[in-house]
Amino acid sequence: MSDFISYSQRQYGGISSILRIDAKIFIAILIITFLGLLTIYSSSSGDLSLVIKQATRIVIGIITMIFIAQVHPDNLRLFAPFLYFVTFILLFMVLFFGVGNTADRWLDLYLFRFQPSELMKIFVPLMVAYYYSNKPLPPKSTYLLIASLIVLAPVLMIMKQPDLGTALLIGMSGAIAILLAGISLKFFIGSSLTIILLAPVLWMNMHDYQKQRVLTFFDPESDPMGAGYHLLQSKIALGSGGFFGKGLFNGTQSKLGFVPEHSTDFIFSAFGEEFGFLGVLLLLSLYLFIALRGLTISVKATDNFGRILSGTLSLTLFLYVIVNVGMVIGFLPVVGAPLPFMSYGGTSMVTLFATVGIIMSIKSHQRILRK
Amino acid sequence: MKTKAREDNIRKRNKIEEKYSWDRMNDADEERRSHRKRATIATIFVLIIFTTYLFRLYEVQISEYEYYAIKSESNRIRIRPVQALRGNIYDRNGQILAKNVSTFDLIIKKERINDDEVFLDKINEVLPKSKLDIVSIKEQLTDRRAKEVVLIPNIDLEDYSLISVDKHLLPEMELSPKAKREYIYPFSTSHILGYIGKVSDSDIYSDVVNIQEGMTEIGKLGLERFYQNILSGEFGYEKLETDARGEILRTIETKDPRRGDDIYLTIDIELQNYIYSLMKNKEGSVVVMNPNNGEILALVSAPGYDINMFTKSISSKNYNKLIKDPRKPMINRAINGQYPPGSTLKPFIGLIALEEGIVDSDKLVSCNGAYLLNNHKRPFKCWKKEGHGSTDLSYALTQSCDVFFYRISELTGIDTISDKIYKYGFGQKTYIDLYNESSGLVPNRDWKYKMKQLPWFPGETLNVGIGQGYFLATPLQLTLATSSLATAGQTYTPHLLRQIRDSKTDTIEKYDFSNNKFITSYPNLDYLDIVHHAMWRVTNERGVGTASQLKKVRNIELAGKTGTAQVYSLDKGKTDKKQLQDHALFISYAPFEDPEIVVTVIVEHGGGGSSVAAPIARDAIEFYINSKEELITKNE
Repeated sequence: MSDFISYSQRQYGGISSILRIDAKIFIAILIITFLGLLTIYSSSSGDLSLVIKQATRIVIGIITMIFIAQVHPDNLRLFAPFLYFVTFILLFMVLFFGVGNTADRWLDLYLFRFQPSELMKIFVPLMVAYYYSNKPLPPKSTYLLIASLIVLAPVLMIMKQPDLGTALLIGMSGAIAILLAGISLKFFIGSSLTIILLAPVLWMNMHDYQKQRVLTFFDPESDPMGAGYHLLQSKIALGSGGFFGKGLFNGTQSKLGFVPEHSTDFIFSAFGEEFGFLGVLLLLSLYLFIALRGLTISVKATDNFGRILSGTLSLTLFLYVIVNVGMVIGFLPVVGAPLPFMSYGGTSMVTLFATVGIIMSIKSHQRILRK
Repeated sequence: MKTKAREDNIRKRNKIEEKYSWDRMNDADEERRSHRKRATIATIFVLIIFTTYLFRLYEVQISEYEYYAIKSESNRIRIRPVQALRGNIYDRNGQILAKNVSTFDLIIKKERINDDEVFLDKINEVLPKSKLDIVSIKEQLTDRRAKEVVLIPNIDLEDYSLISVDKHLLPEMELSPKAKREYIYPFSTSHILGYIGKVSDSDIYSDVVNIQEGMTEIGKLGLERFYQNILSGEFGYEKLETDARGEILRTIETKDPRRGDDIYLTIDIELQNYIYSLMKNKEGSVVVMNPNNGEILALVSAPGYDINMFTKSISSKNYNKLIKDPRKPMINRAINGQYPPGSTLKPFIGLIALEEGIVDSDKLVSCNGAYLLNNHKRPFKCWKKEGHGSTDLSYALTQSCDVFFYRISELTGIDTISDKIYKYGFGQKTYIDLYNESSGLVPNRDWKYKMKQLPWFPGETLNVGIGQGYFLATPLQLTLATSSLATAGQTYTPHLLRQIRDSKTDTIEKYDFSNNKFITSYPNLDYLDIVHHAMWRVTNERGVGTASQLKKVRNIELAGKTGTAQVYSLDKGKTDKKQLQDHALFISYAPFEDPEIVVTVIVEHGGGGSSVAAPIARDAIEFYINSKEELITKNE
């Protein structure tokens, strides 16, 4: 007989436990997606077709989430290397057969098009968690080397596409995974310094438009009609929202097209314009809640794999929020990063729900020691 | 008993355990503790970042709210000025002189142009090449502020119908309605009305004109300039909401423009046109003024020029032609032409001598054709070689005897002359309602020393005594001085504005001439009578007066004084005949008993004042009397 009993068997059945989902996280996400739909509806001046499209994606996302929540973490662990390497090969194929407007990020699979880099957002933490799950403490430096390779290989491939934003996000989520898996702080500080020293090399390999973005970040007012325009306008939108916001459907900056990409990457400023500081506070608190709830789940997880994976995914989710909001408020350079569960877009919506599905799976498949 | 299946199961398990077993066993407790520690650190990090972000958002949305709110408003709100229609200009009888006609600009909105090169090729194909200003079109294409490109400005519907045959080739073009200034008598009124043109930098820095938001055209010269602020009205605006591409979404607020006020001039356009026709092929100026209120009835400067050319943006070729024209049509001779007044100055010199006690009505001076001054070898000649014999002041004025005036001006002296002559308005602006008036020149010792670093020579006083030498006066100054004689010192500032009609209330505001009355003192009116009588003799005493050959004007009498100013032409060597001839001058007022008008005529290089200038004045007076009587009979 097993020494463990299933966590879910211990609990009374509610809908959420039957579906193996975490009701608290799910409700938080539902509120966020609803706010996102409202903002998209408002800033597109009442274009229902956009809202229906986005709602469809949310439904697909929820189904995906519920489906993944049913998958036992052991099975995830079993398939982790396979998923990772297949996606890696797909990334390789993108370099040769990819399609896209400015950069070739998409793979056309006849039936549908998708971005392998989006999948890597899940599979890199998965692979790192897989790798570290059975390594004893304290971690050896050889583990770190291999883990770094697991992270850096896809990151470099994605940079080549070129998609600097996604590459950095994946790199950072890999770093979080390695940190959670347990490296000594000495190592962490050392590698951070290395990255800073490597920055000039990165700069040399950047494309002009990427360099321009970084430069604009440091001085957005220098070029108010050019690249800094986006940043300035989104800040104006946010700032003119004030405490209570201009009210739903009253956001002139986003509605009249001053805020570029008001439904995708800059949806936060469109939201902030109409809902004000109060709305922004609510939204960020919801994200914070999801992240902390995810961390709690990770602490309660019974094995190393579950701990590293759920912890990393929760922090990565929050990282996306930090990067997107940081870009809008001028803390970080403009990189194409969507706001989780808010931004208009299909692939990211589904992968984000899948991410949450994994966290929920880890929670619902917890085993506790039999007393 | 162990079954085979169970054995298999155990073997399988062992295999797995072999695979997943290491030197050291995983310590589950330590792993959990390690993770808890790291998760706590991560939580702290997350909370720090969360608070930092909130602080930043607080800063942007609450502390700097005002700043961003204003920016957001100015982003979407655009103020578009609405032009006010310019006021019309009428003459004293309500005849229209300047009005607005609607024309069209052939334009293309910029957002419809995809490719500049293709666009240029296309318009070259479709539109007549002669009318296209390619340089200007290219300039407009590169100007980021311009929202549209003007292909052909001021096109009329007839031209457009010719072009629109090919409209299918260039479907983007459209007509933009516009008001264009049109002058009814462009040549005869050119110096009075001036013209309007595009607002330039010098206009923006000028103190005399108000520049309103959106103003593109402004009065440049003449009355269009002087009464710019009255004629221009008040521009309105439209407050528009636009999107990021500048597309107009809706109008938030509008303020209607206020049409400019109409102005009525003192000019009688019939008289003006008549005199302009008399001055045809001549250069010079005629001013007709009512001495009783300062109203200018006619202000002719010949030749005139076509002011309508300026309203349809004059080409540089035509402009250069105007500038380089040897007849100098762009100079307003009535206020900027400075001429030696010649013998027309004599009545004033005579009056000064009378008032100074140098002469009286009986004092005689003998004229034998020339006057000798001490230390001067060359005698000062009279125009009449054989001399006038013994002459008194009245006869000397009637005959325009030079020797008499040499003598009395020598006795009066330059200091007294230059001092007293100011009271007639010489040497100073008349302050007519036109800008850049010249002030003429009254020479004196100081002036000469300043200008030439030389002392005043006695001979120069004699020249001033007959209106020659350095002395200069404008036709308008002479008119004002003559009116001072005609009204015994009751003069009014000459003006061209009669009344303003408020475009909103339709009320009429009359120019108040009594506010601009000036009284020149004439200590002894008997002296003035001597001069009046002499000026009557000039035109009426047959065979004696220098202008007595003039035909009578119906039943009225006029008084006047002829003048012939010698001009030292610069190119004496080149025998351009006309330039060597003298300026012909004539000042007059009529009717003699109760003066209603003062007429001054100057014809450059015209010859004798009596033969050339006086007849023009006479005809002008006759025209005035006739039209006045016509008006009376019409009203009855």
